[in-house]
Parts: sequence; C-alpha cells; structure tokens
Amino acid sequence: MKIGIPRGLLFYRFYALWKTFLEELGQEVLVSPPTSKPIIQQGLTHAVEEVCFPAKVYLGHCHFLKDQVDMILIPRVVSFHRGEYNCPKILGLPDLTRSLFGIAPERMIDDEINMRERGIVGWRKGFFSIGQRFVTSERKIAKALEKAETAHRAYRDSLRQGILPETVIDGQPPLPDHAEKVLLLGHAYLASDSYINMNLIHRISGLGFSIITPDMLDQEGLRRHLPGRTKPSFWTMSNEILASALYVLREKPSAIKGFVHLMSFECGPDSLVGELVGRWLKRDKHFLPYLKLEIDEHTGEAGMLTRLEAFVDMMKWRHGSLESHLSASRPS
Amino acid sequence: MEVLKATFPHLAHLDIALGFLYPTLGVDIVPPPPISKKTIELGVKLAPQNACFPLKVTLGNFLEGIEQGADTVFMVGGVGPCRFGYYGEIQKVILEDMGHRIKFVLLDHPRYGFRRFLDALRSMTGGRFSFIRAKRAAILAWRILRFTEELEGYLRDLRARTWDPQQLETMVTQSLHRLRQVSSPVALDSLCREVRGEISLLPKDNTRDHLRVGIVGEVYVAQERRINFDVERLLGSLGVRVHNSVSTVEYLLHALPFFKSTEKLEAWRLARPYLNRFIGGEGIDSVGSTVRYAHQGYDGVVHLYPFTCMPEVVAKGIMGEVGRDYDLPLLHLAIDEHAGEAGLVTRVEAFVDVLERRRKFGRKKLGVGG
Repeated sequence: MKIGIPRGLLFYRFYALWKTFLEELGQEVLVSPPTSKPIIQQGLTHAVEEVCFPAKVYLGHCHFLKDQVDMILIPRVVSFHRGEYNCPKILGLPDLTRSLFGIAPERMIDDEINMRERGIVGWRKGFFSIGQRFVTSERKIAKALEKAETAHRAYRDSLRQGILPETVIDGQPPLPDHAEKVLLLGHAYLASDSYINMNLIHRISGLGFSIITPDMLDQEGLRRHLPGRTKPSFWTMSNEILASALYVLREKPSAIKGFVHLMSFECGPDSLVGELVGRWLKRDKHFLPYLKLEIDEHTGEAGMLTRLEAFVDMMKWRHGSLESHLSASRPS
Repeated sequence: MEVLKATFPHLAHLDIALGFLYPTLGVDIVPPPPISKKTIELGVKLAPQNACFPLKVTLGNFLEGIEQGADTVFMVGGVGPCRFGYYGEIQKVILEDMGHRIKFVLLDHPRYGFRRFLDALRSMTGGRFSFIRAKRAAILAWRILRFTEELEGYLRDLRARTWDPQQLETMVTQSLHRLRQVSSPVALDSLCREVRGEISLLPKDNTRDHLRVGIVGEVYVAQERRINFDVERLLGSLGVRVHNSVSTVEYLLHALPFFKSTEKLEAWRLARPYLNRFIGGEGIDSVGSTVRYAHQGYDGVVHLYPFTCMPEVVAKGIMGEVGRDYDLPLLHLAIDEHAGEAGLVTRVEAFVDVLERRRKFGRKKLGVGG
C-alpha cells in the first residue's frame, strides 16, 4: 500500500522513525514535497482561520497527499515524554483533518501514541496498533519498530551534530560553520522548514553566525535545567525551548551571542513561553540581545530581513566589531 | 501566623461562594472589584500580547485586588495541555517584575511536588485547618455556587418568555445580593424557597413557541458576561430561550478527585464520532454539547471562546462537520480585547434572523447559515 506522510509539524522530529517503520512493514511511503506556495494556499483555503500557521501548512500537505495515496499517516501523538503533552492542536489533528477534508476513517492511520502516563509502554502500544493494520505477526512489528528506533537515533544524532533536517531529508548542501553562534529558539517545524521561515537560517549564516537549535543540544542534559523555582510547562517542545534558554542563561557558553525566538503568531504555548524567556533575559545582568520573530501567512520578507540585520548589528556592537548590515545604512 | 489578605480571579458568581468560604476558613479576602473596562485595560497592558483573553482579565483582577490592599494572590494551575494551567506561572513573573511584594499561592497539581501542593492548600485554607469546619463551610459554599447558577438559568430561560424581563432581572440581582449575607444552611434553604416561589409566579408568555439556542464554549468566556457582551441577554431580548452547557459547578465537580460530572461524560460520549479524545480545555465538551443540542432539537448553537484558544479552535473545525450532519446553524464568536460590541450585536441579530426564517420556511430551504 502507498502511505503518505505530510511534511509538517512532528514530521521534522519523527521523519526517520515513521518512514523506516512503515517501510520495514513492507509499505510504500510518499512524503509530501517541500512546502511551496500552492501547498500553503490549499492549507489556507481549507483550514479554520484561527488555527496556527504551521497547522495550516500541515493541512496543505494533507490536501496534497489525500488523493495520491491509499492511506495517510496522521498519528495522534498525545505525548512523547512522560508526564507531558503536545499542544491541543496536535492532539486534535486527525479529527480536524478528517472533518475538513472528509477523509474516510479507514484511509487514515490515526492511532494514539501516548507516553504521558506509561512511558515506553504507551509508545510501543501506539506503534503496535499501527503495525497491526498491515501485518499480524507481533514479532515482525517489534522488529520493524526496533529498526525504526535505530534510524530515529541516527537521525537525532546527526541533528545534534549541527546538521539541518533539510540536509538529511532532501540532501541540501550543509551550511558553513561559524565561530559565533545564535541560539535559535522555536519549534522544529518552523526552524526546519525554510519556506515557512523565509530562509532564516541561511540568512543568519550569510550574516556570519551559525545557529544552534534545541535539537542540537543534549536533551537529557538540558532537562536538568528545568526544575527549580520555575514550573516546567506541560508541552514537551516548549520545555525544550525553556530548557535551552535556561541552559544559555546559566552556563553562559561564550560562543552564543544572542537569542532569536522564532514563533508563529497564533501559537498558544509560544505566546506564554516567549514571554517567560524574554523576561528571564531582561532579569539577567549581562543580557544577550533577544529577537522575537513572529511569522504567519501575512509576514513580509523585507520586514523580517531588516529586523534580522538590526539584530546582527546589535550583537556585533555588543561584541565591539560593528560593521553595519542594515540595508538602509549601506551606501547605494 | 499572620492573616493573609487574599485576592482571587473573578469567574461569574464564584466570588459569592468564595466570599463565604474564605472568611469561615480564617483567610481575609479582598475581592477584586467587578470586571470593568479598567480591569481589561490593566491586564492587556501587562500580559503577553498573544496570550488568551482570560489570562489578561484575571491579571487585571489581581492588579486591582492588590490596589485595594491585597498581599496575597490565590490562583489555580493545571497540567495542560490547554494554556490555562500555565497562567499562574506567567502572572507571577509579571507581578514580580512590576515590583509587587506579594505572595503568589498557586494551587497546582500534586504532580509538581506534593509538599508544594499541601503548602498551597494550607495557605488557601488559612493554616488553622479543622476538617469538620472546613467540610461544613465547603458544602455550604458549594450549595451557594449551585444556587447562583440556578438563578442564571432562570434568567436565560425566562428572559424571552416573561412579560416583564426587567422585573425578572431585578429579582435575580436582589437574590444574588441577599445570597451574600447567607451564613447558614437554614438561611440558604429559606432564601431558595422564597426565590423559587417568586419566580414561578412571574407571568409568562406561553402562547408562542420560542426559538431555542444552546451555548457551548470555553468555561470562562461562555460564562463571564462582563466579557462576552452579555450575549445571553441579547439573545433573550430577541425572543430566544437560551441554555448554557458550560457551568462552573460541573467544571469544578470534574476537577475534584472521586467525582465525575455526568453531564460532561455524556457530552464526551456524544462527541466520540467526531472527536474521540480529550484535547484540553473544553474542546471536546463543545463538540459533544453541540451534538446534544442537535438531538434535543435546538434551533442553533452559539460557540463562545477566547480568540486563538487552542482547544476551541480545533473544536470549531470539527463542529462544522456536526453542523452539516445535523443541519444545525452555528455561530462562532471569538472574544478578546479587540472584539467590538456593535459587530457582535449585528452578527447575533443576523443569526437569530436566520433561525427565524428557517422555522418559517422549513429547514432545508435555506443553507446552513451562521
């Protein structure tokens, strides 16, 4: 059977896992192409207006896939960390997609993956129920899951070494490594999709800085920074953002010169987490420059570029090596 | 132990019940002034721009309570996935950054530390905790809360049907006022009896078959009429009998251990063909209650929620399908500080117009509007 995986939301986290798992079970996998204007357009046409931009993009990918494949993979990933959740939009995604496009229930793989209460048991249960749609032998499923988890670890390891998801998935050329870094806070589905974020990472690289995302930091080590006076949020990906910010604030790695927080306008968790990070930074005595970039379908490229250039100037000014990047200040 | 002067967020008539409960438990309270334009302005100015509206309003409550001399803030938390559970953390940081030297008591889930939970519970119950006294006070406070909702129910149902809605409103306002003075179960019983009697004697218009509209949505916006432009009253004045599926009583009941709200469980069961999982907040309740209103033959459903509310936005997408399946008109109203009364009134009036026409000319002749 031909199974479609929409390129959006948790795709950038579980790409290798899902693909390997389905292929090991003998299925053909079709990943939707990189985000493009027509895909976004479909998402905007069909989605509820107020749903966040990444979800609209995801729905656009679903629309692209729905008539080209036999089944579409939209697992209900309730949680992939003990005691935590994903945001309500990810929880309701299978139902939302079905309602909006009228996809028949038997054409959708929407099994629940939930590690919130029972950890790894809930994880396995989810994948077994997906596997049972294709094969009956539990041993075969277990073997496929094992291979998939190995692929997942390899994928996550390459991200940790600073390789971007697009380099791994689409074979794009890697970016040069600069000595000075910017911590890029934000969900993987914004940071990794260069069409949505208007080539942000390439632009930062062009201005002489490499980026570090929460994916590139050691996850288990990061979580040590969470407990204490602050209440951790209950969203896994927001916790990774909070922990990355706290790590930089406490350990002060000298290579990191500033924070860029990439968020989507209608994102619920970001609206609170971004505020917290901003306030923590201001409380810090030697606080690093902080740029909050909010994007949605109306964001203009020029405005973003100007802000980015001003931000880079700010970092260089702090660093004592100002050479303005502002387009406006360049002699024509 | 010194006596705390505590303030807390408003939610419909919760302040009446808490106004009885806290003094009985030995906590002095400074109830925040009723939600006004100023409350909203204060909250909006200081809260994160894209946070949901209830966070901003409750932050405004705290600031006004502090202005009136409160030195402690009582707030509840949660474990998600809706943003509500994280309000307290953000509000605490904002108040700290403003330089307020106040104690922020966040009653959170025991998951975030059982000792912290007990400490918060102890602060909220005045430290000198006597189980028997607390139980008695809590039961009476609970009954007071239930009666405030009963009164609201009369308003919703009878506004359109009584000949003199003004008299009804005055009666309810006076009863709420008298409810604040109640201090014993006996007094509450006699007040309830008296009010119920008075209301049953009101002359009603039974000649007309009124339109019926159900309200679903997020617990705060669907109940707090100082926020939602009093949609219920507007509908009533247009001759509509209103039922609200959202209730603080049911909400609290469901949050308590060992209890479950049968009404909520029923809504969750009804929602299953469309949304078969809890997605935080009242998302699944909104879907389920819409299905229930469809079964009960209601003419339409009004969906009230804060702008960008995560569970309700998902519910909104799914409710569209419910509306198509049952041929039930829906009106979605997103509320935040930018919502304007005139626009809202126009939309509600147009909605009621559609419902009236559908009654007159038969359902299928007009498309699903709303």
